Amino acid sequence: MPVEIPKDTWSGSVCTVTLGATTAAGGTRSHTVTVGGHKTLPFMHFEQPMAHRPVIALEIRDRRPDDWSPLLLEVWGNAVDDPASWANAGEKAGADLLVLSLSLTGADGHPTTPEAAVAAVKAVLKASGLPLLVFAPGQADLDNQLLVPVAEATKGERLVLGICEDKNYRTIVATAMANGHLISTRTPMDVNLAKQLNILVRDMGIPADRILMDPTTGALGYGIEYGYSVMERLRLAALQGDGNTQSPMIVTPGAEAWKAKEAKVGQDVPAAWGDWRERAITWETLTAVALIESGADIVVLRHPESLRRVRVASDDLMAVPETI
Amino acid sequence: MALTGIQIYKLLPKTNCKDCGLPTCLAFAMKLAAKQMELSACPHVNSDAKSQLADAAEPPVRLVTLKADGHEVKSGNETVLFRHEKTFFNKPGLFIRVQDDEAADGIRAKVSAADTYTVRYVGMDLTLDGFAVQSASSDPARFADAVSAVRAISKRPLILIARDPAIMATGLRAIDGESPLIYCADAGNWQAMADLAKQHRTALAVCSDKLDELADLTGKLKTKGVADLVLDPATRRLGTSLIRQTQIRRLALKKDFRPLGYPIIAFPCDASDPTQESVLAAQAIAKYAGFIVLNHFAPEMIYPLLVLRENIFTDPQKPIQVQPGLYEINDPKPGDPVLVTTNFSITYFSVANEVEGAGLPAWLLIVDAEGMSVLTAWAAGKFDAERIAKAVKETGVARKVARKRIVLPGHVAVLSGELEEELPDWEIRVGPREAVDLPVFMKQAL
Amino acid sequence: MTEHSVSFDIASEPVRVLTGALVIEAARLAGVDIQQPCGGQGRCGRCAVQVTEGSVRRRSTLRLSPEDIAAGYALACQSVVEGDVSIAVPPQEKIERRLTTERTAVEVTIPPGYSPAAQPMRRVALTLVPPDRQDQTDDWGRIQTALRQQTGIDAFQISLTLLRRIGAVLRADDWAVTALLEADTWDRPNGPARVVDLWPGHIPDDAPLWGIAVDIGTTTVTLWLVDLMTGAVRAQVAEYNGQIARGEDVISRIIYAGKDSGGLELRDLVLKTINTLIATACKRVQVDPANVIKAAVAGNSTMIHLLLGIPAESIRLAPFVTAVNHIPALQAGVIGLDIHPEATVDCLPGVASYVGADISAGVLSSGLDDAGPVTLFMDVGTNGETVMGNREWLVTCACSAGPAFEGAGVLHGMRATEGAIEEVWINGGTFEPTFRIIGGGKARGVCGSGLIALLAELFLTGVIDRSGNINLKLPTARVRRGEHGPEYVLVWGSETQDGHDIVITRVDIDNLLRAKAAIYAGFTVLAEKVGAPLETAEEVLIGGSFGKYINVEKAVEIGLLPDMPWDRFRFLGNTSVRGAYLALLDRTARARITDIAARMTYIELSADNTFYDAFTSALFLPHTDLARFPTVQAAVASNANASHKSGKGT
Repeated sequence: MPVEIPKDTWSGSVCTVTLGATTAAGGTRSHTVTVGGHKTLPFMHFEQPMAHRPVIALEIRDRRPDDWSPLLLEVWGNAVDDPASWANAGEKAGADLLVLSLSLTGADGHPTTPEAAVAAVKAVLKASGLPLLVFAPGQADLDNQLLVPVAEATKGERLVLGICEDKNYRTIVATAMANGHLISTRTPMDVNLAKQLNILVRDMGIPADRILMDPTTGALGYGIEYGYSVMERLRLAALQGDGNTQSPMIVTPGAEAWKAKEAKVGQDVPAAWGDWRERAITWETLTAVALIESGADIVVLRHPESLRRVRVASDDLMAVPETI
Repeated sequence: MALTGIQIYKLLPKTNCKDCGLPTCLAFAMKLAAKQMELSACPHVNSDAKSQLADAAEPPVRLVTLKADGHEVKSGNETVLFRHEKTFFNKPGLFIRVQDDEAADGIRAKVSAADTYTVRYVGMDLTLDGFAVQSASSDPARFADAVSAVRAISKRPLILIARDPAIMATGLRAIDGESPLIYCADAGNWQAMADLAKQHRTALAVCSDKLDELADLTGKLKTKGVADLVLDPATRRLGTSLIRQTQIRRLALKKDFRPLGYPIIAFPCDASDPTQESVLAAQAIAKYAGFIVLNHFAPEMIYPLLVLRENIFTDPQKPIQVQPGLYEINDPKPGDPVLVTTNFSITYFSVANEVEGAGLPAWLLIVDAEGMSVLTAWAAGKFDAERIAKAVKETGVARKVARKRIVLPGHVAVLSGELEEELPDWEIRVGPREAVDLPVFMKQAL
Repeated sequence: MTEHSVSFDIASEPVRVLTGALVIEAARLAGVDIQQPCGGQGRCGRCAVQVTEGSVRRRSTLRLSPEDIAAGYALACQSVVEGDVSIAVPPQEKIERRLTTERTAVEVTIPPGYSPAAQPMRRVALTLVPPDRQDQTDDWGRIQTALRQQTGIDAFQISLTLLRRIGAVLRADDWAVTALLEADTWDRPNGPARVVDLWPGHIPDDAPLWGIAVDIGTTTVTLWLVDLMTGAVRAQVAEYNGQIARGEDVISRIIYAGKDSGGLELRDLVLKTINTLIATACKRVQVDPANVIKAAVAGNSTMIHLLLGIPAESIRLAPFVTAVNHIPALQAGVIGLDIHPEATVDCLPGVASYVGADISAGVLSSGLDDAGPVTLFMDVGTNGETVMGNREWLVTCACSAGPAFEGAGVLHGMRATEGAIEEVWINGGTFEPTFRIIGGGKARGVCGSGLIALLAELFLTGVIDRSGNINLKLPTARVRRGEHGPEYVLVWGSETQDGHDIVITRVDIDNLLRAKAAIYAGFTVLAEKVGAPLETAEEVLIGGSFGKYINVEKAVEIGLLPDMPWDRFRFLGNTSVRGAYLALLDRTARARITDIAARMTYIELSADNTFYDAFTSALFLPHTDLARFPTVQAAVASNANASHKSGKGT
């Protein structure tokens, strides 16, 4: 019985966004990373080839993150005390991109200064040739104080500046446009809010090929289903031609999974949870792979072994013979 | 094709007689469209309309149920490709595989650990569903022994795996009278397998790496009288499985293609890289498998998969909730205030984001208000002084703070009096109505 | 370049300008002051002038009708001089009137062919033969016989109160008496007629017979005083519902009513409001309230329950049922209405907890229940109810919009009365507002239509973004951080009645956004659930307390109303009170309301998360799905261009 396989045809496609700029293009990156461009749902190779594979970013910090799980501090060792070494280690672990998250305060307890932020960003750029995303601590005034000098000091690098939110996007968008960078928007797990913020930033005139959107996810067990479905809906809308959902999607399964008690702690937990390290890595890996399959273009991870496993999975998802 | 409420209404008598228990024919039509009522509730509908409506009601993916000793695994009856479109209904069964060439002790240890495994997640006790016994030795007697050994320990549903009908027959005899799922029929053995399936009234899995052949086989098996079929498209890698399983679900739902309108069985147990077994299983849960066979039993792998299954099969039509409980914002100290609100996720996010964004430390007490926003919950009687007091007690927040101060959302200022009675040793403060005003309130009034 | 002469009727000398000059530039040269509230962006139409000789090239004719253009009207800011012209500048007031005729109030039309026989109240003049030794018929029997002879009705009822007075009345004017009958009512169609009152002597046939139609809104109570003889509405009055102080929405009221003596207190408050309105209306036409002998009352289910002192708690709690939808005939004295104590009070029937008599009455007055094509009817109030359908089917839903559009719950909101700003324009370059105040004096606040206009203008001029965030970086003192967060100053204190600035705050904007989003989401979800797309609605009927004042264009701009051709909208004003009025006047209309209430299928929006999704989607200006609002998108784009070109981009 001959079976005719139904193929979806779509009128819309996901924007193609290139992160980082090489020397030739006015930056200092060793190479660039391009995401997006999809004309169909993730990994449906029999309909359209995947324009760009999903990429894995590794999150590093400007200083030792005191609240991170001991498993993470242990695996990165002394690198966590120096963003440049951490960046190096991350590149060696196989990351495609680096995310530098700036801390709210310095080790002295005072708010992070613009000078310190610029220094950390420059150190990371010097240590690794990977394209870089810089995320501010998430407090409107401080974010703007830190990101503007960072953007100015790295003009032309095509960094991704984050995070633009509904209540605080104007300054970040303006400085990204003025200094040749990209932005990342973030909205709390809602299709409409994601679209709305996309419209707001585009109303300021930033071109679509400079926008990444983070629709936010919960970790496995902590609301992953909402993030998962929001991303599926956004991707479907993008393919159906809704111009305000066509930005490539970035999510942070690493940060979410490692916030979960299941990953973070190894003591005073039920025996039925099993081995701590393996459970934690599985937590991060499954969160990330589920999101990649629902449409994530960039997943931000924290543990090198999860990174390796997600890489194996994404290679497998990409390596599909055309006969299938 | 599914009909809209108005389309169904036009087929109904339009008398508003209320015999179905609803006030109007249109209300009934809309219930039918939403599949919340059966047509039989209307005693007056004519036969012509009946046949038109029945066609629209047939499930595109057949329901296959495995039962054993009170345990039950249901698969099929799915109506959507994406869970947000409605919901995924039947959680795939998770089975642990043993092979008959494994040592008997090893089998016993693995099965009894897996059989008794239970883990608590948001108030539910999650367990595995059953076991798959595979003939690896090609020895019918060993297979039968392995089946008996598993059955001696676990009462859960079984899947028997053997390509040779003779071996399968011995396995079935070992648990005579039961109806496991048997795996599998292929182009070579399908007639013999069909006979076994009919004889033992079992569900039968069908395997082929070609969809054409798979559809052919299900057609023949159906003609031969085997109704409960399960599909194995024979893909064992992540990328190919995703595509095949998507294609099968699409054909069933969008093309109403009955030969592939059956649940799918997946075999993450065959992963070449053991660290990918959980990844394959996770994909199978989200992307359309009805039965999932795992090789390893390890709590650190099973727990995440059981949780994922709960998450993916949560009904997305229900309001988005966060876990009730005590949340720490910006590393609060005993002197910091306790803010209270409901467990509607948007409410939680607005409050948490405002406070977190302002860098103000606070204890955020999330009350179980059945996922409603502050005003809705209050209106529906789900966010009152009693519930707040209960949350205060259950979370033990009193032990974490030095100063017992609790801030109510301004919208429910009216609750402050009752809350004072419920929590006599607490200072009750009324905060602003909107989350956006919280930072200023906290800086100036607290 | 050629020079042309431009002469203005109100300037002494013509001026000379080059080809391509705008009329407004010529006016400035000539010293003629033409108002440009929108800053010369061609949006407001306030700079319309009339070309009396020669012609101009009109770059834009927005806001000009073909008749206007034929009459020579052109927008001074959008019209280019290309030859010698003479221009008449109409007085500003005249322009305003021309612009506002598009949305004049719906006059109450008496139902065509109205006869007092259509309603149950009638006066019957009787001249009785006095009793004597032969004829010892009792007084009541005597009246019944005379009534039977004169009306053909067989059986009559009378109250004890009236029996106590009967003897005196009959003898007061020598056995000439006028009986007030109530016959063939909705609750006893062929039952006995009721003698409501007896007056000594004969009252002239054409003397008025008074009834009231009342709409009890959550926020506003409206009352019409009607002469049942002619059908004419002789007074229309409205006031905020006195219960507001005990909660702005029905839920708060229900909860309040459930506590101690809360129910009694709320009943007294609304009675006080209604009785004050009765007194005001009666005073206006110099009628004794005791002569009002019939009342028809519409209102949402909660309001009716509270008026009657019926516990309403079950309305709020699942599964959300009322105590009563079809209320029997009651008497004014029992309820506590200060009209004739024996007057029948007809509380019209509702459909469900959140779709009350106001909607049954509204559907009647809109004619939706008899429409051929699919029609949408919405009642915009504190609760936003929508009905969709035609003569074959009717579905309805309700959502809580909050009182923002009635001017409550907004810092400087007020009802549409004297001193309320009802229309606003903001200059896209300077961000300076101009506005129109009801009554023309100093401003006291902003009413619903003013708030809609204000929100639309703030959005179109970029003072707020699509989420409602105020752009504090604009070069104007009118945006600032106030006590309640970011705000825009609409009127400086020096120009207001109480000397305080009139502002709109971020919180107000959020309230307005939520109100409009709830209403928009309500009707879109309703259409979706029933499977009849919104676009299939050939007519959109809008009722509500501000229904008759609303500016369609602004309402579409903020995404309150769907972006449809404007001629599909029809504004009906307060349809609830109008439905009550029709029920008061006509038995057939009253029967239709019962039928409507029975036919309407109620859809519960909170059954799943579709409504929430639609609501969030609508919580944006004009809507997250911009494709639904193509004309607004075009307006935004052209504004952006205009400010860009004039170098005023920010």
